[in-house]
This record gives sequence, C-alpha cells and structure tokens, in this order.
Amino acid sequence: MNTAALIELLYKMADDQLILGHRNSEWTGMGPLLEEDIAFSSMAQDKIGQSHALYQLLHQLGEQEPDTVAFTRNAGQFHNCIFVELPNGEYDFSLIRHFLFDTAEAIRFEMLSRTSYKPLAELSVKIRAELRYHTLHANTWIKQLGSATRESIGRLQHSLEAAMPYALGMFEPSPLEKEIISQGIFEGEVVLRERWMNTVAQVIGQTQLTLPDWKLINPVYGGRSGKHSEHLQPLLDEMSEVFRIDPSAEW
Amino acid sequence: MYGGGNTFEGIKTDSLAQEDPVKLAEFEARIDRGEKIEPTDWMPQLYRKQLIRMIEQHAHSEIIGALPEGTWITRAPGFKRKLALMAKVQDEVGHAQLLYSAAETLGKPREQMITDLITGKSKYSNIFNYPAYTWADSCFISWLVDAGAIVNQLANAKGSYGPYCRALDRICAEESFHLKYGHHCVIYLAAGTEKQRQMFQEAINRWWKPMMHFFGPSDKISAHTEVLMRWKVKMASNDDMRNQFLDMYVPKIWELGFTIPDPALKKNTETGRWEYTEPDWEEFKRVINGDGPCNKERLEVRRIAEERGRWVREALHVPKARYVTPLA
Amino acid sequence: MNSLDPRVNRLPKIGLPGQVEPKVPLDQFGTFEVFVQPKEGKPFQHEGIVHAPNLEMAFVLAKEAFTRRFLCVSLYVVETRNVYVSALTEGNTTAYDFIHFVDQQPGEKVAFEIYHLPKRGKQHQHAGTVYAATPAEAMSEAKKQFGSKLVYNVWTIRTSEIRFTSADEKELWLTLPEKKFRDAADYKGGEKLKEFLERTKA
Repeated sequence: MNTAALIELLYKMADDQLILGHRNSEWTGMGPLLEEDIAFSSMAQDKIGQSHALYQLLHQLGEQEPDTVAFTRNAGQFHNCIFVELPNGEYDFSLIRHFLFDTAEAIRFEMLSRTSYKPLAELSVKIRAELRYHTLHANTWIKQLGSATRESIGRLQHSLEAAMPYALGMFEPSPLEKEIISQGIFEGEVVLRERWMNTVAQVIGQTQLTLPDWKLINPVYGGRSGKHSEHLQPLLDEMSEVFRIDPSAEW
Repeated sequence: MYGGGNTFEGIKTDSLAQEDPVKLAEFEARIDRGEKIEPTDWMPQLYRKQLIRMIEQHAHSEIIGALPEGTWITRAPGFKRKLALMAKVQDEVGHAQLLYSAAETLGKPREQMITDLITGKSKYSNIFNYPAYTWADSCFISWLVDAGAIVNQLANAKGSYGPYCRALDRICAEESFHLKYGHHCVIYLAAGTEKQRQMFQEAINRWWKPMMHFFGPSDKISAHTEVLMRWKVKMASNDDMRNQFLDMYVPKIWELGFTIPDPALKKNTETGRWEYTEPDWEEFKRVINGDGPCNKERLEVRRIAEERGRWVREALHVPKARYVTPLA
Repeated sequence: MNSLDPRVNRLPKIGLPGQVEPKVPLDQFGTFEVFVQPKEGKPFQHEGIVHAPNLEMAFVLAKEAFTRRFLCVSLYVVETRNVYVSALTEGNTTAYDFIHFVDQQPGEKVAFEIYHLPKRGKQHQHAGTVYAATPAEAMSEAKKQFGSKLVYNVWTIRTSEIRFTSADEKELWLTLPEKKFRDAADYKGGEKLKEFLERTKA
C-alpha cells in the first residue's frame, strides 16, 4: 500500500469536509426559515464529524492528533479545494455549493466503499448513508427554487455559473493519481468527475436552470497543493482563535 | 432558554367578569384535577392571552439566546467543543421552532410573533442582551444560564396547557446534554491553565448580576399573579426559582475555586434560603426595555436574517394555501 | 455593525435598522403534522409540526426538526388540513361517544390511518388502518373497531395524503445512534473534577 497516496487522499477529503462544515455552520441561527436553519446545521455537524473521523484515520497512519492537525496548520498546509473556503454569500450560493459539493461527495464515498484500505471502506459505508440526507435535501431545494420565481431562478443561475470553475477544482488531479488508482485505493478524480457531471446534469435538467458548458470552463486549481485564495487564512485564524491562546491547554 | 421576569406585569383580570361563569368553573375544575387543557377546549380570554405571551417570550428567548453562544461556534477550540456547540445552538433554534408551534395552537400566527420580536414589541429573556466577550463567557451561558432555564422549564413542564407541556418535555430531554456540556467546559477551564481560570473568573464577574436578574423581579415587587398560579400558567414564584438555582449551583461554582462577586451571598443555615445583595431592579427594567448593551444588535441580526431569507420564502410561497391552526 | 461576533460583522447591509418589513400571511408557509416511529415494531406517534411550502419539503425538514436526536426508524408527514379530528373528551368519556356510525358511503374505499390520544397532555398514537370512502365513514369504521377503548381524541388521515419514508430511505437514520456528541453521557466531567479537587487540596 502506498501510504503517501492514501494519506494525500485522506487529507484532501478531511480538509474539504472541515472547511465546508465550518462555512456552513456560519448559517446557524440565521437561516431563511427556522426548520431549514435546523436542517442546514445538522449537515454542517455531519461534515465536521466526518472530517474528524478522517483525521482519526490519518492519526492511525502516523499523522498528528485531529485537534492539532485541524487547528494549528496554516493555509499553505491545507489541501481543501478553493471551492469550500469561499465565503457563504447569500443563500443561493450556499445552496448551490451544497448541491455541487455534496453530489460529488456522495459519489466519492460510494466509490470508496470499495477501497482496498479496509478502515476507509468501513467509514465510507457510514458516511455514504449520512449523505443520503444531504443529497435529498440539496436536490429538493435546487429543484424547487430552480423552478420557482424569476428571482430564485436568476439567483441560482448566477451562483451556478460563479461556482462552476471552483466546483471543478474539487477534481484537481493528484500527482499520485496513478498510484491511488493502481493500488485500488480509489478509482480516481476523472471517473468521479464524469459521474458527478451526469448526476448534476440530471438534477439541473429538472429545473429551469441552464448548466454551463463544461468545455468552456477553466477549473480553478491550486487548493490541493496548498495554493489558496485570500479567504482561507482568515477563516483558519478565526477557527483557531481560542485554541491558539494555548495549544497545549485542554479545553 | 427562558427566565421568566417581566412577563406578567400589567395583568388585568377585568375580562374575567365577562366570561361564562359555568364554563369558567368547569375549566378551573379541570385544571384542579390535574388534567391538561388542549387547544380545542374552551378557555378564558385571559388564559389564552397570557399563555400566548409566555410561550412566545420563551420562543423568542431561544432564538435570541442562540446569538451570544453562536458567536463562539466558529471559534470553538477543538473538535469536541466545536461539534457540541454547533449542536447546542442548533437545539436552541429547534426549541424556538417547538415553542412557536405551541403558541400557534392558541391562535397567533408565527408571522405575527416573528414580526413582534423584531419590532421590539415582544420581549425575550433579558440575559441575552449582554455580550459574550470570551470563550469563557459562552461557557458561563452554556452551564449556568442553561441551568437557570432548566429550573424554569422543569417547573413549567407541570403546567396546564398540553401543547406547552409536550414542547417542554422534548426540550428538557434535549437540554440534558446542554447542562452537562456546559459544566464539562467549566470544569476544564477550572482545572486548566492560570489563563483559563482567569478567563472564567472574569466571565463570572461580568455575568453574575444578569444571572441574578434572570428569574425576574423579586416577589415583593412583582405583579400579582395569583390567578396565573391557580391556572397553572405560572408554576413557581420568581424568588423560589432563584433560590433553587442558587442552592443547586453556587456550591458547584465555589467547589471549582471561583469567587462570586457578591459579598452578601450566603445560605442562611436556619431558614435554608440564600441571602444576597438585592439586585438592581431599575437596571433590569432599563435593559429589558431596550437600553442594554446588545438589545439593538440582537434585533438587528434577526431583522437582517429575515430580510435575507425573504426571497427564499417568497419563491416557495403558495398563494392559494389556506392556513389552519396546528392541532397539538 | 461593530459586534463581538465575527459572523455578525460579515452580515450584509440590507434595509435599515429599525425598519421592519411586516410579514405577509403565509410568509412562514402552512403547517404539516409530523409522525415518528421510535423503534421497529412500535407504533408511530405524533411529534409536532413543521412549517413548509409543500409535502416533500415538509418531509425533508421534519427529518432534522424531529429526528436528529434520540432513536428513530421512520417518519411521515401530512398537511394539517388533511387531518380530521373528533371531539376532545375527558374523564370517563371516550371520544368515540361523539363519533356516530354512518351508512356505507358511495365511492371507492381507501385506507385511512387512525390515531388516538390516550390521555390529555400526551401524544397521539397510531391505532390502526381502516377502509372508507370519506373521513366521516373512516371515523365510523374506527368506532366499529376501537369504539370500546377509552380515548380522548381521534384523528383520521387519508393514507394517500401522507408522505411516508420508503424502505430504502430508512438508512437516513443509520448513523443516528453513533452521534454521541449530543448525549449527556459524552460529557462526564467527574474524573477531571476529582483530579482537580485532589490537586488543589494538596
């Protein structure tokens, strides 16, 4: 087993979940409807919980404790895609990101339930079951708002177009892509992206939204190798503000 | 979380004279027997009005209460605290949802209740008009303000109105983790570094006065609430609940080696009641009527949240829908 | 705003402070009644309501509003308008005393779910399913089947109006028991407290 390849994959997934879960938690108490506030917060908690489980797998592979890994690294050391670190914007952007990201994530963990690395396979089965709700939620909201009023359709369309280059950044190929695939760790970003594009098109096809032409979009890469936007460091500073008062303290 | 307080001022019992005496007697007998009142029962106007007001204020307290703790969600130190605080604040939003639903069974639409909150017409628990300066402040709220709310909620759960009791049963079940989480946080601060201990001591120094206000004005200056106690709307006196809180939690605070900024605070071993410096009820009145450090901010955050969400609700609005009062 | 809360400082400027836009009727949508099955083999019971624009959204929202904690294996929702209610009774009077037998009604017989309130202050519990052409006939059929029971309120709901959990959706609650971070038991401070007390006594 090429541990380096496995570790790289785990870090990028864990970092994606942590950063997006953190972003989505910013909506708690401020959602558009009480019931939706509650639902969105549950999914944010799931993501943080999933990132924790992934960091624990990393810890078993020799990486540091989850709290240390999550709360003391700086932006250049994070491997999340830039998509998840972007500010929440308005609810249209947050919902579009939720839809695009969670659709990919659900497929990724379904594929990972067949990974050669057993602990990850077991975890993936559980995460995929949790994501069942996330995709049900996202699809319901996108289908309903995407066919509702001129304003809701216009807002979602605008966010969809703005998000797409960043969303494609989720599938930034790894330098270890060949090893990841040949070792049976994961079928790879190309396969995932293909399945994702089909699923996204299928859902968007049930709305009055128009899917941008994939061929005309330049993916925004960089996150996977630690090259981030100006948004990540302030996010991390905020996230670790109390922890850094004394990293050796127990809170 | 809800602490009573200003709710029952200005109760006019004149409307009672206009109620059907036979129905009123049956209604009161039902309550005396320990039976719950359900939404379709006949009830005097005063009962309906005061219950709506109380349950609505409780709901507002939950959604506003989500804000001072919510301040620390993005900065919670470590996974355990981060997850717990996210879940706790989510529960507060959930409790608001449950309580608005209970108030709705009495005939006031949720739209009206939310509007009354944001315009400042309806009140909420005064303690949330204070700022949570540090992580330790959020821990004070999670432990001790929640503890106070639970004293109040456990009393109210034995009240007469079915939907409110059902909501409170669910709330109390969910709150059990809040209290333990809060205490857990404070134990770790107490057992931690000098900086952590100091952070919490300073938080106590800031929050003690508002905490003493939490259960509302002392009985001797409170409005007469006999009819509400008879109808099991108000379940315990403000002073009794305050005393219960002090009895349960002051020893736990002292056990951790923290001091409480009230030199007169002590338990009278003869009477068994706690003695303390009489809180400043004029200040309480000022703050609850809008002049506290965070009143404007709290309402402004809610106003913005509602405005931001308007396009979402408008998009899914069903013009031909007919509203029906919820059943239970 | 100049707040202690960084989230608040990031809020967009919308409208003017103090200028509240009044809410239109149904801004918060209509309501849906939520029923939860806590464990396999146990009856469904009424838990409360969600505000939602439609039945599917009600299901999606109810799942987190009512089953994000404690145990649950299934959930369903129905519009409040579609719940037919009997009189409310007390003491030794069963609600069935106020439900009348009706003649067979014309039309196709469809399924209706029957709920009973066992005691004031408690929650309505699922009693069974009857077949009838109208809600009144369903109440009548319920009386035939359950009329001897002492219950304080009866609800009848046309089964076709309910959004159920499908068989393969049951995995929605698969990981629920594992989310210990919301259990009081996960916050046992006893050991830490003991260690602290011993340390400070010394």
